[in-house]
Amino acid sequence: MSLVLLLLGLLVLSYIGGFLVGGRAIRGFGLPSGSEYVALGFLIGPHALGLVDRALLDAFAPVAHVALGWLALAMGLDYGFRRARRVKPARLLIGLAVALATTATIAGLVWLVAGEVFSGTDRVLIALGMGAACAETTRHALRWVVQRYRARGQLSDIVRDLADGDDFVAVLVVGCAFALQTSATVEAPMPAWAWMGVTMGIGVVLGVVAAVLLGKEFRLAESWGVLLGTAVFAIGMGARLELSTLLVAFAMGVTIARLSRHRTEVRAMVRLTERPVLLPALLLAGARIDLLPFPTAWTTFAILVIGTRLALKLGTGMLIRVAWPEVHRAGPLLGLGMLSAGTLSIAVGLAFALRFPGPLGDTVLMTAAVITLLGEFIGPGALRRSLRAAGEIDETVMTPMPRASREAS
Amino acid sequence: MSGAASTAPKGVGTRIVQATMLVLLFALLWATTRAMPHSAGELGAIAALGFLLLVGTLASELLEPLGLPHLTGYILAGIIAGPHILHLLDHHTVERLGSVNNLALALISFAGGAELKLQMLRKDFRSLAWATLIQTLGVLFVMTAVFMALRPFVPFVRDLPLVALFGVGLLWGTLAVTRSPSALLGILSQTRASGPLTNFSLGFVMTSDIVVVVLLALVMGLVRPLVDPADAFSLDRLAVLGHELLGTVALGTTLGLCIALYMRLVGTQLVLIFVALGVGASEIIRYLDFEPMLAFMVAGFVVQNLSKQGEKFLHAVESTGGVVFVVFFATAGAHLDVPLVREMWPVALLLCAIRAATSFGAARLASRIANDIPVVRKWGWSSLVSQAGLALGVAAMIERAFPSFGPGFRALAVATVAMNEMVGPVLFKVALDRAGESAKDEQVRPSLEEEGEEVA
Repeated sequence: MSLVLLLLGLLVLSYIGGFLVGGRAIRGFGLPSGSEYVALGFLIGPHALGLVDRALLDAFAPVAHVALGWLALAMGLDYGFRRARRVKPARLLIGLAVALATTATIAGLVWLVAGEVFSGTDRVLIALGMGAACAETTRHALRWVVQRYRARGQLSDIVRDLADGDDFVAVLVVGCAFALQTSATVEAPMPAWAWMGVTMGIGVVLGVVAAVLLGKEFRLAESWGVLLGTAVFAIGMGARLELSTLLVAFAMGVTIARLSRHRTEVRAMVRLTERPVLLPALLLAGARIDLLPFPTAWTTFAILVIGTRLALKLGTGMLIRVAWPEVHRAGPLLGLGMLSAGTLSIAVGLAFALRFPGPLGDTVLMTAAVITLLGEFIGPGALRRSLRAAGEIDETVMTPMPRASREAS
Repeated sequence: MSGAASTAPKGVGTRIVQATMLVLLFALLWATTRAMPHSAGELGAIAALGFLLLVGTLASELLEPLGLPHLTGYILAGIIAGPHILHLLDHHTVERLGSVNNLALALISFAGGAELKLQMLRKDFRSLAWATLIQTLGVLFVMTAVFMALRPFVPFVRDLPLVALFGVGLLWGTLAVTRSPSALLGILSQTRASGPLTNFSLGFVMTSDIVVVVLLALVMGLVRPLVDPADAFSLDRLAVLGHELLGTVALGTTLGLCIALYMRLVGTQLVLIFVALGVGASEIIRYLDFEPMLAFMVAGFVVQNLSKQGEKFLHAVESTGGVVFVVFFATAGAHLDVPLVREMWPVALLLCAIRAATSFGAARLASRIANDIPVVRKWGWSSLVSQAGLALGVAAMIERAFPSFGPGFRALAVATVAMNEMVGPVLFKVALDRAGESAKDEQVRPSLEEEGEEVA
């Protein structure tokens, strides 16, 4: 397959993604986390049908960087907000704490068992990568269930607020990991914490630039120029310095959201592009998945990570039931409903695969793909059951909304 | 294309903030290039793209109080950041931005075609026909003669025999006939001008594209035997040209009809469709040996004039203007070979001045014959000075076809195009302002719901 053909293929995916904007996915097309695109990517990739070879994928690395950065920007713009309202600080903190606990536990366990396969900094990196890939409960899948079944009530709000809060941890951990191993060609040697500061600094400074340039009065055409310019510049600088573009763009998004009076408008602009960017990114991530080089080691990691994540999510469900007694009726398996992973996990996996090509990056990407796939089949169903048990789903709409009412809604 | 800019006056405070931001962005990229001095490949190009987009926009805003067009700001930003001044962007990075430039050119061509309305062309037919005839012949022959007369000052033709010199002179004359649709549309995008001068300029510059394609093919066929006596003039070249032109127009028409049909049946995600066409269709058209920019222009023209989707199409292309023009002209600025311009400036300046004077004289003559209205008679020449991508494309083609003198020819062309690129847009903007065709009112803010679908 040629460069142009692959690019056109990605554009077609973007086009499909554009049609899924505005909730068409929720109306019944596609899987909640979009993992079918990861599978499709794997299928056409060099390790399955071989329609796309490794060199071609490498040629598309800059596109992948930009896509990842753009998705992180969207997450940053949304961070701490759900639509126009701010997420309650307590929920945000609980979301952060849960994600931090999940990341730390998984990273710690992986570090303990990774000694035989990885050593030195690589051992720390694989631990951080696995931890970051498992931190997320994807808001896309939760929104998919909540909107599809028109769930309304406190449990729906809580799980979505907690899911919104956990993004920061994964992005921060990736930032730390990338700062730990800066490029050998860099002419300004600095300690990891300083590189971490540079990563966040680029995002914050360009976020301030964007907020100032967006100005007092919102103009759509000018705003696109400003947003594209600052985002692409931030992503390009981060990638050039081999820092985490995820953290750079996320920091930029959070800064814009806090400083610009046009957060809602900017968010609306970016929301329209989220799916069109996400689907090609998922495809590129899928195409990079390699099953062959490390079957034994990876199986150990996978069992460990999946088991731990499952236990931690069940624990989170318990915590929710204790912290909010009014949703106690959701049942003991509520945590399984938060098992869905997707955009961020795959983004973490792809970022690691791009930055650390070889077994390290491939292991993180593979893990991200597996937990996404697993979450896809367990998460939405479990959440639906919990919402139903909590009395937040109208029994008459236990089947997806009919088309006419979907359009009306 | 229109709508990227507002005309509301901005205060000193805003300008100071913009200047601070500009300095900050330069400092950021400077620090990055110092920390990582080697070329960062495609990743460096990504950073460069964002950087040019931002600093181009800021520079244009800062130059606004001086009455200079935004394009000048974009170009200046590119020159300053480019490989010859601050060296924040190296040669490889600038070369890598070429693919983005092709995409920008495709969108500009769509816009160019869509701006041409049949009704407008019919109304101005007499005027356009005379202008095209007199400008083409006048500039071609005068510049050929001037180039021959300047022989002692042009190193790469100094030793050529007279016949060969005449051939090279004809090629230079052809290059001088090229105008700049992108500069014209960029200025119209900023000023949101409308009126007889705007219509005349649009009609003339867009049709001159086709004239140049035909003229270049004819002249190249004619010049070959003059430069290389072993080569013979062949009428076959005309057949090939006819095939190319007809094929391009047919393909452009088909593309236009497909776009119109899509807009009628689906009508969303147009920008994505344009990008896909800019990438995919360009490749196919090039593979078939047709002219992509001309095909896109024909497609835009067909959508505008043979369907009811014209305004929607134009609006969708215009929505990309704020990004497309900045990238295109800032990259052009970064591409500019400053040392070369410094070396060749006396000859280049003379050639530019004579070309501008010839265009002015030819415009006055054509206007008198066609009995144009006063505003066209007075300012009709102003849009004809700019040269940009098309002229550079022609120079590159000549370099490939005539390797013996091609590199020198192209170097001189780059120097003259650089000058015309800087001066031309200023002249056209002044003319539009003086003619009272620039929009004075504040830009109406489009609603997000209205444009969101198209942008996505």
